[in-house]
Amino acid sequence: MFKKALRALPIALAVAATAGPSMAEAPEDVLDALIKKTNNSPYLTQSPQNIMMMPDNPAWLVAEAGEILFKTPRGPKNASLEKCDFGKGPGVLEGAHAELPRYFADTGKVMDLDTRLVHCMKTLQGFTNDDPAIKKKHGSDSDIMKLQTYIGSKSSGVPWNPPMNHPLEKAMRDAGEVMFYRRSGTMDFSCATCHTQDGKRIRASVLPNVYVPEEWTKAISWPAHRTSHEHVRSSQHRVLECLWQMRYPNIKNGSDASIALISFWTDAARGQPAVVPDLKR
Amino acid sequence: MFKKTSTAAAVAAATSLLLITGGCSATNAGKTEAAKPAPAAAAPAAAAAAPKAKSVDYTAMSPKALAEYLIFESGSYELDQPTQEGTTGRARLTQDEIQKACSLMKGEEVSDKAREKVMALAAASIKYPEGGIKLGDWKKGRELAWSGFGYRTAHNPDDHSSREAGGNCYNCHQLATDRTGGDIGPSLTGYGKNRGSSPDMLKYTYEVIYNPHVYFACTNMPRMGATGVLNQQQIADIMAYLFDPASPVNK
Repeated sequence: MFKKALRALPIALAVAATAGPSMAEAPEDVLDALIKKTNNSPYLTQSPQNIMMMPDNPAWLVAEAGEILFKTPRGPKNASLEKCDFGKGPGVLEGAHAELPRYFADTGKVMDLDTRLVHCMKTLQGFTNDDPAIKKKHGSDSDIMKLQTYIGSKSSGVPWNPPMNHPLEKAMRDAGEVMFYRRSGTMDFSCATCHTQDGKRIRASVLPNVYVPEEWTKAISWPAHRTSHEHVRSSQHRVLECLWQMRYPNIKNGSDASIALISFWTDAARGQPAVVPDLKR
Repeated sequence: MFKKTSTAAAVAAATSLLLITGGCSATNAGKTEAAKPAPAAAAPAAAAAAPKAKSVDYTAMSPKALAEYLIFESGSYELDQPTQEGTTGRARLTQDEIQKACSLMKGEEVSDKAREKVMALAAASIKYPEGGIKLGDWKKGRELAWSGFGYRTAHNPDDHSSREAGGNCYNCHQLATDRTGGDIGPSLTGYGKNRGSSPDMLKYTYEVIYNPHVYFACTNMPRMGATGVLNQQQIADIMAYLFDPASPVNK
């Protein structure tokens, strides 16, 4: 019997190697390939220090904490999140983030990683909006960011491929595109003001161009550790901060307008590999 | 200083009358999910907004109509959030004529007709100083040109009582060579030294800062005078920073 177990061991190891995190590629390798492909895009190469730090990205610690949270039974229903369906079936995380936002029949809505995660925390675990686990949306110490970083990391190197089969997915993407070019606010800014030219800078920061998918993929690769914030941030946080700079009023986390913008910007990176977790300024 | 000139205020006021029912009921829905509570606190009494949103078929709308719906009627923004100029978030999101004409999608260009209209609106918006265009204090102008403070709201509103709102020039322009500016707009290094300071050049510069669409229809540059972000004295100070031979811009 012992002998049998020994014989099975190499097989088990081989299976683990293929079924494990093999699909996800190290973010630093993904970025390196993009830099070569773009012939040293000024946006991708602007911080040699960050590139050097990528293997030691503090976001990995946040992802590790997220893995534990993901697998631990929690909440009033004492359930883990292992049955959460992010679009590729219950519990399938490999490549799931790269196919979000997408339409979910059980809610009738297009959802991003953030909103889908909250949905599962409510339905599977029984958390409510007032529970700290859901209420605190930002910061490396929040459950939401730990979980998002873990789930997101399972899509590193996977090409962005948000589905456009459902009419609602297309409608949200198209409305997001209109919003991207829509100028308003004190300074007449739209997203396009800063993100439609090559190698332009706001002060010393090089801006990503939405028309260069190999560059744009890094821009939309969240969660990412932001060195200037010393926190891991989400797509929703990026929307919030851009709109703050643009002098727009507060946008609500997970709102339909935020999903529309994220749907458009993810579609703009289609086919290019996700860099998650990323390290940004 | 906070006066919102041009048509924006009127349009915003009219629109808020029309739309006031739409956004308000939905305002509370996402409140508990907001990053930080806004100053205008709202009771967590509304789950009522969700069914309303569901009765609307997003797929039946044009992308433009859906975008407007998402902005003003889906409860996505805090439309009642107060602004520094005394309006609300709704006014910030409401487009005036120039913003509408200049929201160009990929590959779109301004038509000749739209260009004429934008330039005429811009020309009509410009108010000149009573005593003529004069240069102010370049040191004050430097402070303003390098300040990105002011008018930000969202999750972290700028408190104008703590600090004067700036001109944001450095975000997009290289000014003096002592600090790194952006390059979305052209470099202004050596501005006065290269161009001289004739009355025509002063007038042109004043107009470009006040409302650049008068020369460059649908430019990315904000309308610093027409929107009331900078008053005439502040524009004079920034112009001194650009023209004064003693200014680092001209060194």
